[in-house]
Parts: sequence; structure tokens; C-alpha cells
Amino acid sequence: MAFLETKNLSFTYPDEEKPAISDVSLSIAQGEFVVLCGPSGSGKSTLLRLLKKEIAPYGDKQGIIHYKGEKLETIDAHLLSKEIGMVFQDPENQLVMDRVLEELIFGLENIGMDSEQMRKRVAEMVHFFGIHHLLDHKVHLLSGGQKQIVNLAAVLLMEPSVLLLDEPTAQLDPVAAKDFLQMIKQMNQEFGITIMMVEHRLEDVFPLCDRVLFMENGTVLTDGKPREVIQQLWKKKMLAKTSYLPSPALLYLEHTKNGQNIPLTVKEGRRWVNTLAINPKAVARNNALVTENKSIFSLKNIDFHYDKKGGNIVNSLSLTVYEGEWLAIVGANGTGKSTLLKLMAGLATPQKGSIKWNGKKIKGPLPLDIVYLPQNPKLLFVHDTIRKELEEVKKRLSLSDGGEKLQLLLSIFQLETLLDRHPYDVSGGELQKIAIVSLLLSSPKILLLDEPTKGLDPEMKKELGQLLMKVKALGVTIVMVTHDMEFAALYTDRCAMMFQGEIASTARTNDFFKGNTFYTTVINRITRGSQVPEVVTAEEARQRWEIIGEDSEK
Amino acid sequence: MMKRGFRSLHPLVCLIYFIAAFTTLMLYQHPFFLVFTIILLLCFHWALDRWRLLRGWGKMFMILPILFFIITPLINHRGNHLLFYLFNNPITLEAIMQGWIHSLSLLAMLLLFMSFNLVITADKFLFLFSRGFPQWSLLIMLSMRFIPLLRRRLNEIITVQKSRGLSTHDGRFRQRIKNGLLLLQILLTWSLEEGIQTADSMAARGYGLQKRSRYIPYKMKLIDGISIIFLLILTILCLFGWWLGDGVLALTPILEPIFLYGREWTFFFLYIVLIGYPLIMEIREQLLWHSWKQKI
Amino acid sequence: MGDYWRGQRKIMKKYSARFYIFLVVLILTVLLLFIPLLTTEHYLFASVIFMIGSFFPFFLRFEWKKVTGRELVMLAILAALAAVSRIPFASLPSIQPTTFVIIIAGSVFGAESGFVVGALAAIVSNLFLGQGPWTPWQMYAWGMIGLASGLLKNTWFMKHTIGRTIFGILCGFLFGWIMNLWFVIGIIQDFHWSEIIAYYSASFLFDLAHALSNAFFLIVFAKSWIKILSRFKKKYGLLL
Repeated sequence: MAFLETKNLSFTYPDEEKPAISDVSLSIAQGEFVVLCGPSGSGKSTLLRLLKKEIAPYGDKQGIIHYKGEKLETIDAHLLSKEIGMVFQDPENQLVMDRVLEELIFGLENIGMDSEQMRKRVAEMVHFFGIHHLLDHKVHLLSGGQKQIVNLAAVLLMEPSVLLLDEPTAQLDPVAAKDFLQMIKQMNQEFGITIMMVEHRLEDVFPLCDRVLFMENGTVLTDGKPREVIQQLWKKKMLAKTSYLPSPALLYLEHTKNGQNIPLTVKEGRRWVNTLAINPKAVARNNALVTENKSIFSLKNIDFHYDKKGGNIVNSLSLTVYEGEWLAIVGANGTGKSTLLKLMAGLATPQKGSIKWNGKKIKGPLPLDIVYLPQNPKLLFVHDTIRKELEEVKKRLSLSDGGEKLQLLLSIFQLETLLDRHPYDVSGGELQKIAIVSLLLSSPKILLLDEPTKGLDPEMKKELGQLLMKVKALGVTIVMVTHDMEFAALYTDRCAMMFQGEIASTARTNDFFKGNTFYTTVINRITRGSQVPEVVTAEEARQRWEIIGEDSEK
Repeated sequence: MMKRGFRSLHPLVCLIYFIAAFTTLMLYQHPFFLVFTIILLLCFHWALDRWRLLRGWGKMFMILPILFFIITPLINHRGNHLLFYLFNNPITLEAIMQGWIHSLSLLAMLLLFMSFNLVITADKFLFLFSRGFPQWSLLIMLSMRFIPLLRRRLNEIITVQKSRGLSTHDGRFRQRIKNGLLLLQILLTWSLEEGIQTADSMAARGYGLQKRSRYIPYKMKLIDGISIIFLLILTILCLFGWWLGDGVLALTPILEPIFLYGREWTFFFLYIVLIGYPLIMEIREQLLWHSWKQKI
Repeated sequence: MGDYWRGQRKIMKKYSARFYIFLVVLILTVLLLFIPLLTTEHYLFASVIFMIGSFFPFFLRFEWKKVTGRELVMLAILAALAAVSRIPFASLPSIQPTTFVIIIAGSVFGAESGFVVGALAAIVSNLFLGQGPWTPWQMYAWGMIGLASGLLKNTWFMKHTIGRTIFGILCGFLFGWIMNLWFVIGIIQDFHWSEIIAYYSASFLFDLAHALSNAFFLIVFAKSWIKILSRFKKKYGLLL
């Protein structure tokens, strides 16, 4: 008897013709750690929600879901709410109470537990998670990672045997995401909780999980152990899916015919590359340094702090942006990256230092040539259709060639079909594209992006990267704050590392990552200091490696 | 955080005190009573937070009572002790007394509410409230959770939209107001959209399946019980005193002398013990602390 | 045919029930406002009774009602929004959109929700800024504004711009007058016509600003806000 089972499960949302899930039959054993991946809109979240009765979407459902051999509909609702727990994507929106302690006991109060028992359970849980110092805190003062841990703890307090997670790390920075995923692994190993998780951080989850389900168009495309799934995806030569492969696996599959011991971690990857004999190909490097371009925007000795008592967020910082480049600013949380971007966008005024635009010192409002895309593009939208929003921008800018320009941009970004939708009814990736179009309408010289890849699936990331390359080709300089090393390594020209409110180093992207030990791509960590030529991305390996032999005995 | 003194009592005791103090304060409109009330409350505030909160509200404490003190004689012309004319307005002794009483009573009331805010913090308030009104208190807690979130979102919207020309700082007055509400409109749409996830997270944790239980972080102790009985007896006695006509300064038809006489002293004493109860608890705490220190 | 008439009668019944509630509330409010003028003996007692009499039935009705999580979240967000709505207007003193938000909430979600949003906005903003003797009055005033706009939601008052404008102006003044009561009842106690008029005229300018900003917001934004809230009413699956 399977623990959790679906039989020919299909689901169609109201007002939709195509089913979101069609004919999915799954059987999950107790204690399994299952990862669901696949492009947005492939039905992953819908499947997860169907398993959680309280929040199951309304619509036409066919097929059966069994939990412990019983139909989901016939199980006592009260018991079921305890047995199957769920953690969602956005750490902020899941919090319902003002203080951490109240948040933790919210579920326990819902199931009518008495005070003594609650106290005992909270004491245990808090001890396990090491969050006793947070109990009296207000939830809005916690960091994103802490919030998500509180959310997890609040669900685990109800002692579920199945934990469903819907992209729980999409909004977290890489360090917090790793911590969170380790916590999940620990729950799975030490308490035998069955895990079903939708996740896009493939490098991090593939080594942790027992089983991967790759979904597409509402069906399960492949299902098996991580290595089997990788192999199947690769064998089917679905190139579009290669962006779903963890980069060590991709590197391996592209350069070996062997195909048995697919590496999932850096450690395994290194073991493998050390068996390779490689003839480095001479690649004509693009030596046109961007730093030889004209400096378009320069900041000198900038100091900034939000309030008098607090220390400087940005501390005597100097940075030069060159015309036509794509610059990435990276660095840990709280080093002032986002603040720097706001200063560049003129949304905050530095207390000290000078800002030069096109060689001229500016004081007061910054020129319209600079546009800024916030982390959450939703806050740019005022009107109830995308068309109205774009028309309004056109009107405000009083553009003479607005119509043509808009048409051009819409076709580049392939957004024509979305114009009459509500901005909130399109996907996150689409909303972001629309926001970029609305910003580009004013023909800016420089585009500032705050973590544009946050929450995007690998496929959408790729699309965004390629679109921004096109934007760059139109002559727009791009400055981006990001946590996403892989993305920065693939597309940007230059990287700057921020530390304690200063720019600690800047270098051309390739040199930048090769010079870093921790802050670099997975592939660079695999190849650094090994016997093969060091590379940063799979793309670079493709260009520079020529395999002449592989010693599988080693 | 553990608090000592009056604040360590069960929230119910604190609430009873404030209700009793508020009621008697409203009834005893006598300058002599009011002056002592203010002194006691100032001492209590000193014990609570060394007047930190009061300093923040200083201006309001000065302005409002003075305003009342000045305005009342100008518009109230009752009484027979005519003092002088101001712009053809008769100013009477009774009216000045009345103004004095008003401003004292206002001051006392503000002080009492300030100490209420220090003692009955939001979580204690909600704890008390949830006893009778669980649904309302859950709703209040939800809303309290949203306020800092919405405030942060709103500030984000204000900064970002400023760069796109939507601001309440520039332009014509009409346009500025309009822009302000457009900013709120973004916040409304955004927050209601995200709110669906909050509701899902509630449902996912079993909200709405059965009657909720309540986590009780406070326990009734012996001192709490004694305090309640003590406070109730004092309140009843004080109400009785008011019913007898004591503790109210009669202005008309004849102006009563300000100084207390006879029976009024008894009720004055009871009233002072009632109002000063938290201060007594603070002093008791200090004494216990000292005797414990001396023992070791 | 019979069904049709039964349906009609049901609608009539519903309407007349609404009408009576509104009438009772109106009378109580008016009485409350004029107590200081009518009686000088048991004003305190009488006014508290009036307040409780017109406030608590609605307060308790919500407490006892079975409310879904989605409804709770919606109400909590609207009240929080009303409470923080002053922030963008920091540079424009005397502009106060809270009442506008409450009126719109009532006119889309009905009397009970309007009442809850109004009373809740007052409670939470005071829990943040500190309670004062004005808290219950503010709860009362905003709660009743939300209630009234909900009761009038299908009438000329809420359906037409002119009606809404008149309603907004009235609310501005009524709110100010109810708020003045806290010190009239709490402190002055010994009333006299001239005094009352003096105090109320002192607050006239503030009340006027409040009334005019209500009117402005309702004229310019009522339609778009009602549209937004109606969209979410559907999206949240609320029938309220």
C-alpha cells in the first residue's frame, strides 16, 4: 500500500480549456524525499495543492487521491490538516500573526490544543531549530530566511507526516536557501517526514532528494532517481530541458560518452574531471575591454545612511559604469547592494560624495536617462490593464514616436497577446518583461535591475538573459544587483563585489569568478585547481575543452 | 521580557485598575482630588519608564490643558463672583475654577491613558480581549500584523513611484492629493493580491475547521486575587462617596470652598489608595528587593 | 408567478429590514450628538447607553458569525490600509483618506464589513499609536460610517457621484462631532449651549477639511476603487 497515491488525476481550472494536470498517477512511499521540477505552468503547484485538501483549487477534478489507503475526501478534515502540512513560496505572505510565538502556535490553536501541550511542543521545536531568541520578536523584523524557518516550524509543530513545499527558497538568498534545504533534509532523515517539494535550485536539491519528478504540460515527463531523470532528459535530447539540469551534470553529459556516474555535487564533479585528459583549445578571447569605453556614470566617495543613529550603509564608495556594458553587483545580504542601486537611480540622496553623469556633476534629481526596476515589479503598476498602463506611460513621457517604439519593444519581448490582461493575472516572468518594456519606452541610457532573476524558473531566466542581451544591443547600459552567480557568469561583462558598503573588487566577469573561491559558479568550483583548464560556465567549457581521453579507472 | 512591579500582575488586574481609576476620575471633579491624582500618576510614570514616554508627548500635555484653562472662562459666564470684563465679556471666578478643573481633569486623564499604554501592551490587550471576543481579537492580530508590512510596502511604492513622477511633493495641490491616493491604490491592489496567500496559509494550518483554543501565557497568582478584591472594594466605596455628593466641587449655586471638610477626607483617602495602587505595588517590589539583598 | 412575488417580497423584506436598521442607527446617532444639548442631568449615563445600544449589536453579531479565513484576511488588510493611509500625505496636513477607504469598503462589501473595517481601523491604529480617551469614540464614528455606507449601498446615495459626495461631506462633519464628544462628555460634563457651539465651531475648520477631502476622493476615485474591490470580492470568492 502506497503512502500517498494519485490515480489518473486530472484537473481543469474553471474558464480554461486545457487541463492543468492530466492523468497523473503517482505513488509515493512513506519517508521519500521527492522533488518536482519543470517549467512554470507545468502543473507542479496545482498537483501540490490538490494534495492539500484545505487549499485545493476549485475546478473540475477527475481521478482519486489516496492517503494511507484512504480517499482524501473521506478522511477526517481535522486529522488531515495535521497530517499534511504545507509551506509556500513567499516567506512574508504566510505569516499571519504579529509575533513569532503567536505565529508558531497559530496552527495549534486552530486544532484546539490546550495551553500546556502547546507550551511543551513549542519548547521542543524552538530548541530544535535554535530560534528561542526570536520568540518575542515581531515577525516583520526577521530576515527572509528567518521568516521561512518560522513558517516551517509553525507547520512542523502540528507534527505532519507529509510536508509539501511550493518553491520555499525562491525568495531567499543563496545562503539562507541552503540552510533551509538542509533543514528539510534533516527533517526527512531524522524524523522520516515524507517530503514533496517544488524547487528550482537544482544544484542544491538534486544531491539531497531520493526522487525527481519532471513535469511538463500537466503530465509527469520523467520520474525516478535524480541520476535517472537527468539521463532520461538528456537522452531524449530535449535541449530546451537542459537548463533544468544541474550544471555539474550538464558539464559531464556534454563531455563524456560514458554517462553512468553523473556527478551531482562539486565533490563528485571534481573526481570526474580529474579523470579527463583535455587539450585546451585556443579561443580568441574578446579582448575589447569595456573599460576602454566612455565612462557614462561615475560615483565617487559616496556615503549614505538612512538615519542619523545608524552607521553608513554605503561607505565612501566609488564605482564607474562604462557605456554599453552589463555590470553585475554581487555580495552577501546587507552589504548595501540594493541601497547602492537606489542611490544610482536617484531614489536616495547620498550624504557625501559626487555623482557624475556623462562627465557632468549632477545635483538634485537625476536625468530621465536612468530607469530602475525594483525587485518586485508589481509596485510599478497603477492601472487595471497592461495596455492602459503602457498608454499612460506614453502619455506621461509625451513621446512622439511612442506608438512605433512600443510596437517594436512588444515584438522583441513577445508580449502582444497579453495587452488586455490585468497586470496581476500574468506570470511573474511576464510581469517583469512588461515592466522592463514600460521602462524602456523613455529610451533610457541606463537600466538598473534589482535581482531580476529572483523566483524565475531556469527557462525564464534564460529567456530574460537573452532579452537583456538584445536590450544591451540597442545601446542600453545595464547595471544589475544579483545573488545569481550562474546568471551573472553567463551574461554580464563585468562584476563588482560589494562588502561593508564598499566595492571590494571589480573585474571582467570571467576573471572575477576565476579569482573568487566561494563566490563563484559551481562549474568553476569543480574545475578550479584541477588538472583540466579552469572554466566558469558550461558554455566556456564547450568552447575551450577538447577531450582527448577519459580514464574511468581513476 | 519579564516586567516587575505592577506590570507583573495578571493583565486582568491591571485592566480592572484602569477601569476603576478611569471611572472614579471622571466622577470626582474636584481640584484637590485631581492635583493629587496627577502627582501620583507622575510618580507612577517615573517608576514605569522614567518619564520617557511623557517626554515624547510633552507638547500635547502642555497645550491642551492650557487651552482649556483659557477658553473655558471666555465662553462660560455662570456664577456670581464677577471678577472683571474682558472685551465686554464677564469673567467669573466660577468659570475660572471650572477651567481649572477641566484642564486638571484632562491632564489626569491623558496621564492615565499614557500609563495604560505602558502597562497594557498590545499583546496583553489582545489577551484580555480574546477572552470575550476571540474572533475580533484574531482579526485585530491579523490587522496588526499587516500594518508594518503595508507600511513597508507603501514606503517602497512611494520611493519607486517618485522616480516615475508620481509624488505628493511636487505639482499643484489637487494633483498631489490625487497622486497620494494613486499610491494607496497600488498598495491596495498589491496587498489584496498577496493576501490570498495569507488566507491559504491560514487554511493550510487548519483554520476554520473547529473552535480555536487559546494559548494562555498568564497565570492567576494569590497576589492577583487579593488585588482584585481590594480594588473592587475601593471602587465601590468611592462610588458610594460620589453618590453622597463628596469629591465634586460645587460651583453653582454657591461656590464650595476648595479645601476638604469632614467626611470628604475619608473618601479622599480611599480614592488616593485606589489611584495610587500601582505605585504601592512598585514600592512593594522595591522593598522586597532590598530586603532580599540584605538577607544574602 | 408566485415565485416571482415571493422573491419580490423577500427583496422588500430585506430592504425594509435594512431601512429600519439604518433608521435606528441614525436616530441613535443623532440623539447621541444632541444629548449634550437636551439633557444636563444624566448625560453621561445616557450617552454611554446610546453608544452601547447602537454599537454592540453589530459588534457581537460579527463575533458570533462564522467567518472564513479569506474574509478575515480581506477585512484585516482593508483596516490596516485605512490605518496607514495617512503616510503618503505626510506633506499635506489635514488630508485624511481613512474615512474614504472605510466608505468604499462598506459600499462594496456591505454594512457589516464596513462596520468591521471602520471599527478595526480605529482599534489597530490606536494600538500602534497609543490608546487615548478618544479610542472608543473613533471606533464608534468610523464603525458607524462603514455601516451607513453599507446600508446605503444600493440606494441613490451610493450609486451616484452626487449622492456619494453628499454622504462624504456629512461623514466628515459627523465624524468630527462625534470625536468632540469625548471631551464634552468626559471632561466638560456641565454643558451649556454657548459652550457647545464654541467648542464645535473651534473644530469646524478641521471638520470642513475632512469633509472636503472625503468629497474629493469620492468624486475622483470612488469608481476605480469600487472596481478594484469588486474584482477582489470575486477573486476571494466572497459573497458576504
